[in-house]
Amino acid sequence: MMSKLQIETSTMEIPKVKSENRFLNFWRQFRKKKPALFSLYFVFLLLLTMVIGPHIVPYDPAEPNYNRLLEFPTLDHLFGTDEYGRDILSRIIVGARITLSVSVSAVLLGTVVGTVLGLVSGFFGKWVDKAIMRICDVLFAFPDLILAIGIVAILGPGVRNVIIAVAFFNIPSFARIVRGATLEVKEMLFVESARSVGASTTRIVWKHIFPETIPVIIVYFTMNVGTAILSAASLSFLGLGADPSSSDWGAMLSMSRDYIGSSFHLVFFPGLVIFLTVLAFNLLGDGLRDVLDPKTND
Amino acid sequence: MKKSLFLLFLLVSLLFIVVACSDQESAGETGKGSSDEEVNAEENANESADKEITIAIDQNFVTLDPHNAGDTVSIYGIRSMYEGLVGFDEEMNVVPVLAEDYQVSDDALEYTFQLKEGVTFHDGEPFNAEAVKANFKRIIDDDSLRAHRNVQYIDTVEVLGDYEIKFTLNQPFSAMLNKFAMIPLASPKALDDESKDLGLNPVGTGPFKFEEWNQGDSLVVSKYEGYYENDKTNVEQVTFKPVPENGARAAMLQTGEADFVYPVPQQNAGDFEDVEGVEVTETPSTIARYVSINTFNEPFNDVKVRQAMNYAVDKNAYLQVVKNGFGNPLDSTMSSQTQYYSQQDTYDFDLEKAKELMAEAGYKDGFEAEIWGNTSSETVTGMEFIKQQLSQIGIDVKIQSMEEGTLSDEIYTPATPEEAKVQMWYVSWSPSSGDADGATRSLFSSEYLPPEGANTAYYDNSEVTDWINEANETSDAAEQEEIYKNIQSTVYEEAPWIFLASDVILSGSKTNLEGVYVLPDGSVSIANAKLK
Repeated sequence: MMSKLQIETSTMEIPKVKSENRFLNFWRQFRKKKPALFSLYFVFLLLLTMVIGPHIVPYDPAEPNYNRLLEFPTLDHLFGTDEYGRDILSRIIVGARITLSVSVSAVLLGTVVGTVLGLVSGFFGKWVDKAIMRICDVLFAFPDLILAIGIVAILGPGVRNVIIAVAFFNIPSFARIVRGATLEVKEMLFVESARSVGASTTRIVWKHIFPETIPVIIVYFTMNVGTAILSAASLSFLGLGADPSSSDWGAMLSMSRDYIGSSFHLVFFPGLVIFLTVLAFNLLGDGLRDVLDPKTND
Repeated sequence: MKKSLFLLFLLVSLLFIVVACSDQESAGETGKGSSDEEVNAEENANESADKEITIAIDQNFVTLDPHNAGDTVSIYGIRSMYEGLVGFDEEMNVVPVLAEDYQVSDDALEYTFQLKEGVTFHDGEPFNAEAVKANFKRIIDDDSLRAHRNVQYIDTVEVLGDYEIKFTLNQPFSAMLNKFAMIPLASPKALDDESKDLGLNPVGTGPFKFEEWNQGDSLVVSKYEGYYENDKTNVEQVTFKPVPENGARAAMLQTGEADFVYPVPQQNAGDFEDVEGVEVTETPSTIARYVSINTFNEPFNDVKVRQAMNYAVDKNAYLQVVKNGFGNPLDSTMSSQTQYYSQQDTYDFDLEKAKELMAEAGYKDGFEAEIWGNTSSETVTGMEFIKQQLSQIGIDVKIQSMEEGTLSDEIYTPATPEEAKVQMWYVSWSPSSGDADGATRSLFSSEYLPPEGANTAYYDNSEVTDWINEANETSDAAEQEEIYKNIQSTVYEEAPWIFLASDVILSGSKTNLEGVYVLPDGSVSIANAKLK
């Protein structure tokens, strides 16, 4: 996330020195927000797990061992074993890749579509704005999960369709936020001056307005990843998402819910990592918002 | 943004509260059948609370039409209010119920019943030979009823007297007595009443009469005061409550919310060992669990592939993983509790042999396949296990778990074997009539391919089909036993299924409740319920 911010800010048409100051300034403020800082470390840890996870697992996460069913956590199996005798820790580590890539790519897809719609809506105004915003209102009227279940019911279950479904309900919120920011930036002096020197519409939107909306997008992106993890896990839990045999965290919860009375560790550990991950993304988002976008802080 | 979201949330939660409240009100009202003041209703409820029981079960009732039920849950829901000429006792032997006595002619063509006198239906109509005839007339005339198959061999129904009736068959059918036990008798007045759907307004002769059925929520029956054996039960009201979620159902027994729970999930069976006042009972069942393999298509049309699949599945591990140790390996095409069961040499777990057979069949590197099943957590666990086991011989299985309605559409709609898309189906079968015919005919006879029957393996062996018909045509038990022995060994050898397990039924009951039990076919009997 950080490196992305750096790249984006340096492409802005402002003097280089100022851009560095801006980042340093941001970092100095952000460092003071302890919960957000720890969340950032946790998110880095998760990303690292995603990359190297499959190489560091103590056991093959898919390998059943029928002699060691439903064992409680021991030194051999730190998180215990599941109903097929598979190592839960290994499954959680490998599952990070599936769970996070589903939710991150879903939000990314939602962000891209939503941002484009928001920019168009905010910049052109009039009937374009009205049409896009009314469609967003319609989407807002559905509870997120119901909308996602509906979409999955139409497209059929599976990871790809879960991504589409979760992306879908992220679109309106991004469109709204980016539109708001666009409306504000549109009226600023540097946009007017760009227009007066004859810059094309595309150039104005892309080079002058879009960069100004990036901080808001980053904040909402981070926060929505948390929600998206929950939604994707809920869909998996309902049997609409990932293949039940995969080690997706939601699917793990779903498969083991019958054992909640007798072997709580089957449910506890996947539940715990989902909880921690969602919390981390939310706290990180909160911290970023405080620093990047003081206006939305209510 | 934030504010509007919050408002939306408030609105939605308000809506829920309103709905929940009105739900409770209506539940309270209909429970009493009148709009008494709520205080009164509550008092009344408390008075008779000690005579009411709740039975938590795993599935919803589909219909209450006594002649059109196909699923076990509907069948036993119906049996709580209805009785037939004959019925089943606790071991599934056929015993007279509404018949005082019966005679079967030596050629198995004529069945004569002497009926009980002094029996009345819940609506006051008297029970007699004419009433019986009216019921059979309905089933014989309407071939859309599921019970129609049970009466296909009945040629004539003759009323010999007020309380005597004779059935003549057009061909000998040895399992006919079991079929009579599968036909509950409804009041002729209710049968004639076009204004009321019999499926929603049951009127029978049983010890309990219909109160109300909230589809998807509960079925309530209450004691019929005019029952001919009035001391059969002392329970005033029984509520069947479908609770599909395993954990929730088990919790109901723990908290005392339910007096009887079936099935108790195997994972929870151990939890009740130390619980005071609760008893968990194991009953061997007629339920056979298997994966039916569509033998019509490649590569499954090769018997070697199917045998290899059987050798590759470790049945003992299956019982441990999926059934938590409850159950027995399925060592025939039917469970040991079924009539004319004959034990076969099981396909013991043997990977070497399985791989050899695969190589002989020309599938050394395996192939891809799909397994279908419903969405219950046990089925998903079972399919996952099959996937793990078959991967050992290179078969890459994809799990497709479908909602029950969709699944049965996909499986039973295809008009020809060519159109059938099913490859493997993880399922169970229980012959409700407890007879060998019910456990064989519609599963293995080539005359019973979907959509006509349940031969979802598309198993086609003319010898077996002939045997099945032959067995029906003789009334000689020894001869039948011999024929069914041949059928079982041939089918088991040709492996149209992956034979997995026969279930052990686990039911949980409060110790102060007696007489409620589960029959080997998985149906719950409440006729003798007694509270201590």
